[in-house]
Amino acid sequence: MSRQRAGGGRHLADAAILLALAAYAIPFFWQLLSSFKVDADLLHGQLVPARLTLAHYRVVVEQSPVPRALVNSLVVALLTTGLALGFGGLAAYALARLPVPGRSALLLGVIAGTAFPQIATVSPLYLLMRALGLRDTWLALVLADTSFALPLVIWLLAGFIAEIPEELEQAAALDGAGRLQVLRWVVLPLMAPGAASAALLTFLFSWNEFLFAYTFTASEPARTVPVALALFPGVFEVPWGDIAAASILASLPPVVIIVVFQRLLVRGLLAGAIRE
Amino acid sequence: MNARQRGDRRTALLYVSPALLALGCLTVYPGLWVLWLSLQHRIPIFDVDRFAGLSHYLFLAQDPRFWNAGRVTLVFAAVSVGLELGLGLLTALALRGQRAGRRLALALLLLAWALPAVVTARIFEWLYHPSAGLVNLLLGGRTINWLGDPALALPALILADVWRTMPFVALLCYARLLGIPPELYEAAQVDGAGRTAMFTRITLPLLRRILLIVLLFRTLDALRAFDLMFVLTGGGPAGSTETLTVYAYRSLFQTLQLGFGSAISVVVFALVMLVAWSYLRLLRRQRLGA
Amino acid sequence: MIRALFLSGFLLALVACDSAPPAGSPVTLVFKHAKILGPADPLPRLFREFEAQHPGVRVKSESLPWSADEQHQFYVINLEGGSPAFDVMMLDVIWVPEFARAGWLKDLTPFVDRTEFAEHFPSAVEAASLDGRIWAIPWIMNAGLLYYRSDLLTRYGLRPPESYAELVAQVRRIRAGESDPRLDGFLWQGKQYEGMVVNMLEALWANGTELVDASGRAFPDPARAEEALALRRMLIVSGVSPRWVTAGDEELTRRAFGDGRAIFLRSWPYAMDLFQLPESAVRGKVGIAPLPRHVHGARGAGATGGAHLGVHVRTRHPELAVALARFLTSETAQRAMASGVALNPTRMRLYHDPELTRTHPALPAIRALTLGARPRPITPLYPMLSVAMQPELSAVLVGLKTPAQAVSSAQRRLAHLLEAIPGGTDERAPTR
Repeated sequence: MSRQRAGGGRHLADAAILLALAAYAIPFFWQLLSSFKVDADLLHGQLVPARLTLAHYRVVVEQSPVPRALVNSLVVALLTTGLALGFGGLAAYALARLPVPGRSALLLGVIAGTAFPQIATVSPLYLLMRALGLRDTWLALVLADTSFALPLVIWLLAGFIAEIPEELEQAAALDGAGRLQVLRWVVLPLMAPGAASAALLTFLFSWNEFLFAYTFTASEPARTVPVALALFPGVFEVPWGDIAAASILASLPPVVIIVVFQRLLVRGLLAGAIRE
Repeated sequence: MNARQRGDRRTALLYVSPALLALGCLTVYPGLWVLWLSLQHRIPIFDVDRFAGLSHYLFLAQDPRFWNAGRVTLVFAAVSVGLELGLGLLTALALRGQRAGRRLALALLLLAWALPAVVTARIFEWLYHPSAGLVNLLLGGRTINWLGDPALALPALILADVWRTMPFVALLCYARLLGIPPELYEAAQVDGAGRTAMFTRITLPLLRRILLIVLLFRTLDALRAFDLMFVLTGGGPAGSTETLTVYAYRSLFQTLQLGFGSAISVVVFALVMLVAWSYLRLLRRQRLGA
Repeated sequence: MIRALFLSGFLLALVACDSAPPAGSPVTLVFKHAKILGPADPLPRLFREFEAQHPGVRVKSESLPWSADEQHQFYVINLEGGSPAFDVMMLDVIWVPEFARAGWLKDLTPFVDRTEFAEHFPSAVEAASLDGRIWAIPWIMNAGLLYYRSDLLTRYGLRPPESYAELVAQVRRIRAGESDPRLDGFLWQGKQYEGMVVNMLEALWANGTELVDASGRAFPDPARAEEALALRRMLIVSGVSPRWVTAGDEELTRRAFGDGRAIFLRSWPYAMDLFQLPESAVRGKVGIAPLPRHVHGARGAGATGGAHLGVHVRTRHPELAVALARFLTSETAQRAMASGVALNPTRMRLYHDPELTRTHPALPAIRALTLGARPRPITPLYPMLSVAMQPELSAVLVGLKTPAQAVSSAQRRLAHLLEAIPGGTDERAPTR
C-alpha cells in the first residue's frame, strides 16, 4: 500500500494510474474527437478518422442557439453565485456567531434543505413564475437556482466561519471596530478561500442545472446551455457531430474549473462532506 | 438580556432574513403548495380546477406504472450507489500512492463529475449508438441496441450514472485515506499483518464514517436523479428507465396534469426525506457510539 | 413671412402624414417550426417573398427538436406560461383541437374564406375546426401507406397484399425464395412515441375497431382490439418484422427500406421522393398501396397526419401574423414546398397539377390514398390519450404485457384521466 518503492517503480505505477484515469475519461475524449469528424466517418463508425473538420463547430456557432445559450448560462450562473453567496454568507455568519432565535431548528431546516428534490417544487414554481410574469427571464432561473444553492452555501460557509477563532473578532472589536468592519476586515479575508470554494460549487451547479431551466424558459434567446443541448434541433436524423461540438462548448467552464481552480473546488467538496 | 445582546439578536435576524425570505418563498411555500396541488384536479388546458381529495393517491396505489417507476428508482439507486462506492473506493486506494501528476490525475478523474448531466447524456447516447457508437465498435461491430432494448436500457443508464458520480466518492475516500498516518500501517507490518488484514483492520474502519456520509449523499442524489434519464432515454423503452421523477415530470408537463403530477412529486419528496432522516439518525448513532 | 408659414405648414403636414412606423423599427414575426429537410429548404425563399410584399417586416424562424412529442411538450409548457415569444406556429394536426380548447390559438374564423377552405382535404379542415370556428390553416398533409418492393413482388408474381395474412405469406415466400438472411419483411414504427400510436391505430382500424369511441371509452370492442394488438406482437415474435422495430421511428425504418433491406414498409408519403433519388438503392423498385386489413376490418386505412399553421393568441402583430400564415398556406407556397422537398400539400387540386406530377409522378396515387385515410380522433383530448396509451401499447410490443392486460390497464388509466375532466370528449370552445 504505502510501502516505499524504488523511484522507477513508483514512476511506473504513477504513469499506469494516469493512463487508467485517462481511459476513464474516454467518453469525453470520444465526444471531443467526434466533434471534429466528418459526417461520413461518424455514421460509419470510423474509429480513427482520416481527416478532421471544423464544420460542426461552425454550424454550432453560426446557426444554432448555443452561443446565445452560453451567454445566458454565464449570466445566470454568475448572478446565482453572487446572490447565493451574499444572502448565504450573511445568514451563515449569523448562524455561526450570533444568537439567532430558533438557531438549531434553522440549522436543521438548512440541512434538510440540501436534500430537497427539485421535482417537488417545479410545478408550484412554474405557476408562481407564470403569475409573476417572470417566464422566460433570467430572474426566474436565478431565483430558482439560488433557492436550491442556498442551503448548501449556508452550511458550508457556517462551517468555514466556525473554524475562524472568535478571539480574532473579539480583538478587533476591542480595538473599536464595529460589526460590519469586523466582518469586512477580519472575517471576510479569512473566509475567502472557503467562500471561493462555495462560489465554485454554486457556479457549477447553476451552469449544469437543467430541470428548472427546461421548464421556465420558452424562447431560444432565453435558453441556457443544458436546455439548448437537450432541445438541439435535428432534421429527421440526429446531427451527432453538431451535438458533439455543442457538448464540448458546454463543457468548457466545468473543465476550466477543475483544471485551474482544482484546489479550491476540492476543498469545497471535502468540506461539505467532512462536516456534518 | 442586556442591550448588547438585544442588539446582537437584531443583527442576527437582519442577517438571516434575506436568506430566510428567499428560502421561504421559493422552497418552503412551494413545498406546501405542491402538497395542496396533489389534492386537486388541476388541468389548465381544460379549465379543470377542483378538489380531488386523495383521488390521485388512491389511483397511484394501484397504478402499475407508478409501481414500476418506484421499482426502477430503487433499483437504479441501489445498483448505482453500490457500484460507485465499490469503484470509488478502489480508485481512491489506487490513487493514494500517487506521487507525480496528482493534479492531472484529479483533473482527469473529476472531469466526469463536473460535466453537466445533459452533456453526459449526449455523450452516452452517442456511445450507445447501435451502429456507430464506440461501445458496439469495441465489441467487434455488433449492433446491440442498448437504449432501445428494455432489458439493456436500465443497465446502460446505470453505467452512465456511475461514470459521472464515481469520482465524487473516489475524491472523498482519497482525502480521507491521505489523512491516515502511515505509522499505523508500519506498526501493523511489524506485527506481521498481511495486506488484507491491514485493509480490513485499519483502512476500512477509519473509512467507515466517510463511506456512510458518501452513501447518504449519493443515495439522496440517486433518488432525485432526473436530468440523465430524461435526456438519455426519456423513460423508455416501455418505461424500463422511467423513474418516479420522470413519471412525475411527464405527467406535469407533457399534458399539464398538475394535480396528478404533484401527487407523484410528493411521493418522491417523502421518499427522499425518509431516507435522509434515517441516514442522519444512523450517522448520529454511529458518532455517539464511536 | 407668408412663404415661411407656407413652408412650415407643408413640413408639418409631411410629418403628420407619416403615420407608418418609423423606418428604424422593423416588425419581427417569429415562426416556430420543425426543421425541414436539408439543402432544398423552400422556407427561406418563401420568407423573403413575404418580406418583399410587406416592407418593414422581418420573418425570423426558430426551429424545434425534431421529435413531435418534444415539440408538443415545449409548446404546452410555454404556451401555458403565457409568454408571447412567437407569432406563427407549425402545429402537428393532432394538437390543434387541444390548443384551441386551451385558448392558445387566435380565432381565425374572421380571416378565412370558407369556400377557399374547401380546397383542402376534408379531414384537414375538420382538424382545424372546433365548435364551429377555425383555429388553424392546413399546411402539410400526410397519410400512412404501404411501401413495397415492386421488383420483388413481380418476381414472385404477387400483387400488393390486401390483408395481413397475405402480407405475412408473401414475406415468407419471398424470403424463402431470396434466401437473403438480412432481408427483413415488414418494417413499421414501434418505438414508444406518437408514431407508434399511429401504427397501433391503423392496426385497430384494420380490424374494424377503434381506440376510443365517441363517449371517450377506451377500446370499445376489447376482443377485436386484443386481436389487433396480438397480430402486431406476432409480427415481431415470428420474425416477419425484425426485433428492432420496437426502437424504430420514421427515419430508422425509412433508411433500412431505402438500403434495400426490407420488402414492406409502413410510412408517410415523404419517403417516396427519397427512394427515387438517383443514388437510392431502391430507385424505380418501390410501389405504394393502401395498408392491409385484418380479420374483422372491411379494408385497411392509413392514418392522416400533417401540420397546420396557427397564430399565437397573444401575438403582438395579429394582422401580419395571420397574413404570414395565409401566405404560407396559399396555393403558390404549397406548390413551392411540394416541388422542392415533397412536403405534400393540403390543397387537393395540386395533386393533379401537371408541373408537379411531372417531377413527382406518385402524387395522384397519394391523393387517392389520402382521401381513403382516416384522421386520428379529432378531440382536444387526443394528445393526452395518446400519452396515456403509449406505455400500454409499447408494453405489448416488447412482450411485457399481454394484449388483454394492456387493454384493461389502458381502460383504467383513461377512466382516471377523464374523471377529472367534465364533459369528457365534448368539443367546446375555450372560455379563456
